[in-house]
Amino acid sequence: MTRKLITGLLFVCASAGAQSSPAVAIVNAKIVRVSGPALARGTVVVRNGLIEAVGENVAVPADAWVVAGEGLTVYPGLIDPLSTVGIEGAPNAAATAGRGGRGAATPATPAAPAAAPAAAVERARGPEDRPSTTSWLLAADELQPTDRRIETVRSAGYTTTATFPTRGIFAGQGSLIDLSSGEKAGDMVVVTALGQYISLSRGGGFGGGFPSALMGMIAYVRQIYLDAAHYQLVKDAYAKDPRGMERPAYDRALEGVLASKRILFPANRLVEIDRMLRFAAELKQPVVIYGGRETYRPEAVEVLKKAGAPVLVSMRWPEAPRDPNPEDTDSLRVLEQRDKAPGAPALLEKAGVHFALYTDGLEQPRDIQRAVKKAIDAGLSREDAVRALTLSPAEIYGVADRMGSIDKGKIANLLVTKGEIFDDRTSIQMIFVDGRKYTPATDSTGGGRGMTTNPPGGIQ
Amino acid sequence: MKLAVILLACAAAAGAASGESILIHNADVYPVVGAPMKGVSVLIQDGKIADIGAKIVAGKGVRVVEAKGLRVYPGMLDSGTELGLSEISAVRVTVDTGELGEFMPQLKAIVAVNPDSEHFGVVRVNGITSVMTFPSSGGGGGGGGGRFGGGERQMISGEAALIHTDGWTWEDMEINRSAAMHLIFPAIAGRGGRGGGNPDFGPQLISTTAGGTYTQARRTYEEQIAKLTDFFDDARKYQKARAANLPGFVRDLKFEAMLPVLDRKVPVAVSASRPSAIHDAIAFAEKQNIRIVVLQPHELGSAAAELKARNIPVILGRVLALPETEDSPYDEAFTLPLEAYKAGVKFAFGTFDNEFVRNLPYQAATAVAFGLPYDEALKAITINPAEIWGAGDKIGSVEKGKLADLMVTDGDPLEIQTQVKHLYIRGKEVPLTNKQTRLYEKYSSRQ
Amino acid sequence: MNKLLLGVLAAVAPLWAETIVIQNANVMTVTQGTFKGSIVIRDGKIVEAGEKVTVPEGATRIDAANQYVIPGIIDCHSHIAIDGGVNEGSVSVSSMVNIRDVLDPEDIAIYRALAGGVTTANILHGSANPIGGCTLPIKLRWGKDAQGLIFEGATPGIKFALGENPKSAGNPQGGRGATTTVQARYPATRMGVEDVIREAFNEAKAYKAEWDEYDAKVARGETSLIPPRKDLRLEPLKEVLEGKRYVHAHCYRADEILMLLRVADDYGFKIRTLQHVLEGYKVADEIAAHGAGASTFSDWWSYKVEAFDAIPYNTAMMVKKGIVVSVNSDDAELMRHLNTEAAKAMKYGGLTENQALSLVTINPAKQLGIDNRVGSIEPGKDADLVIYDKDPMSDYAKVQKVLIDGSVYFDRDTDISQRAAKAAEKQQLIEKEKQSQPRQGGRGAGRGGQGGQAQ
Repeated sequence: MTRKLITGLLFVCASAGAQSSPAVAIVNAKIVRVSGPALARGTVVVRNGLIEAVGENVAVPADAWVVAGEGLTVYPGLIDPLSTVGIEGAPNAAATAGRGGRGAATPATPAAPAAAPAAAVERARGPEDRPSTTSWLLAADELQPTDRRIETVRSAGYTTTATFPTRGIFAGQGSLIDLSSGEKAGDMVVVTALGQYISLSRGGGFGGGFPSALMGMIAYVRQIYLDAAHYQLVKDAYAKDPRGMERPAYDRALEGVLASKRILFPANRLVEIDRMLRFAAELKQPVVIYGGRETYRPEAVEVLKKAGAPVLVSMRWPEAPRDPNPEDTDSLRVLEQRDKAPGAPALLEKAGVHFALYTDGLEQPRDIQRAVKKAIDAGLSREDAVRALTLSPAEIYGVADRMGSIDKGKIANLLVTKGEIFDDRTSIQMIFVDGRKYTPATDSTGGGRGMTTNPPGGIQ
Repeated sequence: MKLAVILLACAAAAGAASGESILIHNADVYPVVGAPMKGVSVLIQDGKIADIGAKIVAGKGVRVVEAKGLRVYPGMLDSGTELGLSEISAVRVTVDTGELGEFMPQLKAIVAVNPDSEHFGVVRVNGITSVMTFPSSGGGGGGGGGRFGGGERQMISGEAALIHTDGWTWEDMEINRSAAMHLIFPAIAGRGGRGGGNPDFGPQLISTTAGGTYTQARRTYEEQIAKLTDFFDDARKYQKARAANLPGFVRDLKFEAMLPVLDRKVPVAVSASRPSAIHDAIAFAEKQNIRIVVLQPHELGSAAAELKARNIPVILGRVLALPETEDSPYDEAFTLPLEAYKAGVKFAFGTFDNEFVRNLPYQAATAVAFGLPYDEALKAITINPAEIWGAGDKIGSVEKGKLADLMVTDGDPLEIQTQVKHLYIRGKEVPLTNKQTRLYEKYSSRQ
Repeated sequence: MNKLLLGVLAAVAPLWAETIVIQNANVMTVTQGTFKGSIVIRDGKIVEAGEKVTVPEGATRIDAANQYVIPGIIDCHSHIAIDGGVNEGSVSVSSMVNIRDVLDPEDIAIYRALAGGVTTANILHGSANPIGGCTLPIKLRWGKDAQGLIFEGATPGIKFALGENPKSAGNPQGGRGATTTVQARYPATRMGVEDVIREAFNEAKAYKAEWDEYDAKVARGETSLIPPRKDLRLEPLKEVLEGKRYVHAHCYRADEILMLLRVADDYGFKIRTLQHVLEGYKVADEIAAHGAGASTFSDWWSYKVEAFDAIPYNTAMMVKKGIVVSVNSDDAELMRHLNTEAAKAMKYGGLTENQALSLVTINPAKQLGIDNRVGSIEPGKDADLVIYDKDPMSDYAKVQKVLIDGSVYFDRDTDISQRAAKAAEKQQLIEKEKQSQPRQGGRGAGRGGQGGQAQ
């Protein structure tokens, strides 16, 4: 009852805020701009959802609501380059890469929901049946602002997420969304179409049949791209002169593929990274690799560098199995993965490979903080860690002109902490999404369990 | 007691099977239990080795087999087969291993041995004169015949028999129908696992991967051990009640079958692949005061000393197998026999398969290539298994008084290129033909 | 992959560019006799082999006194080094898939096979479909990436399968390979297997005609043409019809072997190899007449009905009919001792030692069309060599060293000497992990089976 009322009030305020709210000025705070050197003591002015000004000597507008920033640090809001947040019912760890294969300590098979296959689903007899494909889907069309995970990950400092449909082989295109608590899904969308999410696994209630093996999935992806190119050719010819020409049939699977300006390919092991990079080159598609578990290996860094492809590294670091048979030891390969995977970001950074970190289903602020800390402990500098969670993902998706750093004119997605980010004792004080201020429901470093059940922090 | 009488009767019948007297003349005899004797003769009479010596003269009615340049060895014994019980392993109706039921000690492999199985002829031409044939059970949680699925987990699958690879009937073929009671000891699944193993001989693996944890698997394991212990305890109670013979006592065939096990007359053949499993099996055997033979260990490790200390023999196989884990040395399985030998553990070889029983000597040879002394390899397919399976007085060596289970070869029997020239089972010369030689002949003549 | 193995490779890498001489060895060339002598290797190739060779200045010498050298073993039927499934069994014709796409250069089976003297293997799709996936030969260059495994320039292949496997895969009552299927997959009989192959080639012929017509138009200079749709399923079959792709057909029974030969005759293509071909001895004349090679097992039999008439004399009988015969493994373990598998043809059927050795060297090389590169010890060929301590036709022989392209990829002494270091490295990682998880004690009540119950 009370809760409903508050939510209602918040909404009224929110929509008003998005239009013409008074400015907010955070003064005398440390400002980690990411795009340039940090300001030890500066001011950020936010108005109408955008950063109006940032600098050491910025005048505070007369109408601004002032936040005293002494002892606070302002970061750009974190960007998760791959998640399913906002698409309700989507599996958490959907973005887990690859088909596991030997050496995967934690099973890397994407969490396939146990959806009963519809009785009507026929067993696919080949690529022509377009199995496991919903390439035409756009995450933006599937958004559910009521997804409780929005609030959860925001409390961990995320203001933006690249959310993807993840079922099937061609799952559809992801969208970049700001994690505001609005009622209209459309208000959240920053970029509608980020690229096609491709997984090399079945599942998602698509029924049986082709393809069943990895090589079948690869062949299927290859055939789809051949078909798409041919489809385009025929369509163009028909558009030019339809007379005397058989009308090409509409194929939404191919439409979805043609509309995708990049593809996301799963790859964890070195072998997979090498394989998928080669495959993307063969398909002549700009590719983003996701997973990246073995990017600590010099050969993996090498091939990524050579291909000039960015990689999204999962922060779900491989862990020792719980309650293992004490007689069993994992193979050297697997032990090495567990030992070295968190060190990959530092190595990628050093080698100049474009990478970003993604949550891979981690949601709780404490888990995320721990995961980042692991990479930092393994050699990644704090600055580079922040970059890998802000500007780098923005660059990978070509949206660095509007987010990812604290610069004038960019979207006012900010994270304000007391203490250095990713420290044990640091607490997130407030989060700005599209200029609207949120406070984490509880101390985000305190474990944060149960946070999703708390009402969202209102704007002031 | 009664069993022993039956055994004796059978042995006598077997001994009388062949009337022909044969003199293998002027051969090199490799008795296995002693030094080779060059240029001697072996006299076969009444199915037995009547004499060995340089100066034996063929008496009247004695057929002389000239064997100059040839060698005489005892016939080989494979300690892990399903011979006679399984014809075409992929076709269930031709397979008689893996009965239903959890505790089935009353089952006897011997009664289902098909003397006309094509497999016997195939293994004979390579010099295999006797085998252990197991009632088996599906490992891998299958029960009721492993690869065919269904049924429940089996723990005791019945009596394995030591048989000749030739005979008119299974009674004829018998050497020791109660050579071992086959116990499928529970085990917790591990990572890795050797490729190509026959699940029929393997332990019942309790999965740790299918959603469960080790703690859960361990609990299941202990429950199963408890169940097994209960069964043995019940058998002891039965034994006591039987001895008391009070009015109202009712015979129970399962427990009757357990009596020779409880009395240590029949050993229990226990599948155990890892040191911990071997250790647990030994602990179980000590507690139950039973004799055991360990089948198919893949790793001995710390268990080797325990086995040696208690004189527990093991059946090794297959030698030609992949390493257990990714990090294991590539020759792990090849060197296991050497490890057993160095530890002083008594062992024999088994192929643990039906289709490749004829390759038994080559498995032994691989062990030699990787360090096992040659004589030990030869013993492990002749005298050692004969002793392990309670027939050391009958077969396994070329000695006066033993059954004339002999192979005459043109060379080292462990070498692939060596040909068996003559084969004798209980003194009877067995033709070296089979389904395969018949097809060879038939299609060689195709115009 | 672990550092140590990389270390081995790094250590031997410099050998590649230099000159190596293997001396004092019993050299079994397969094609040019056996002699006691030397082999000179330069830039990965054999430049000289003979009783007396001129040893170049500064050559690295490998003393192989009392040892035996043979050409690297070639396995014409293997399923190692494949990621994510050996079969695309969902469809009767799975020619759109390609093993090349899923090579796994880090499969430990590669190293183990190498340790058994194998240097080249024909990596095949499984046998779930009458027409299976595309295949290719690889060299077992352990430590290289997937591309580095591929046998450069070798004609690719395609797997066919006849008999019990394709007819029972995907059919509810067919035990082997059956999956949970919505409906039974055609075919379920040998008749259906033939039909599936004919239907596919019928389609492939039409497809080829369509492309030929288009190519002709392009050649005539016609412009603004729309090419036909490229069909990955029919493309390999078109290549078969054009002789650009070899057919490797899994088969057992005489009837199905004959059936396939006749289908191939009808559609005008050749069967390059019949794989397993356990009843090949029954139709050896027909196989020889067609010109198909035969790649068989030494002595497998009776594991299924169609293997019940298998005889170990099959190899020798087919050789005597003039068929190019190889002995293959189809198994990661058996692959490690193909030398003695070949020797079985001496026991069963009386082949000579050289004939037997040919079964796993020059003959499979011929079958794969790579005999200009490998399969014998001859000047100009790749320096793919195996050094044994004893005659490789003996059970007692152990592989000592294996060279591919003149580089040592396996060395038994090195392997053994590095075991302790590898174990230590592993132990160190285990300890490190334990220390980093101080609070994870107390779980997992079990004590590793160390005396759980019965005391």
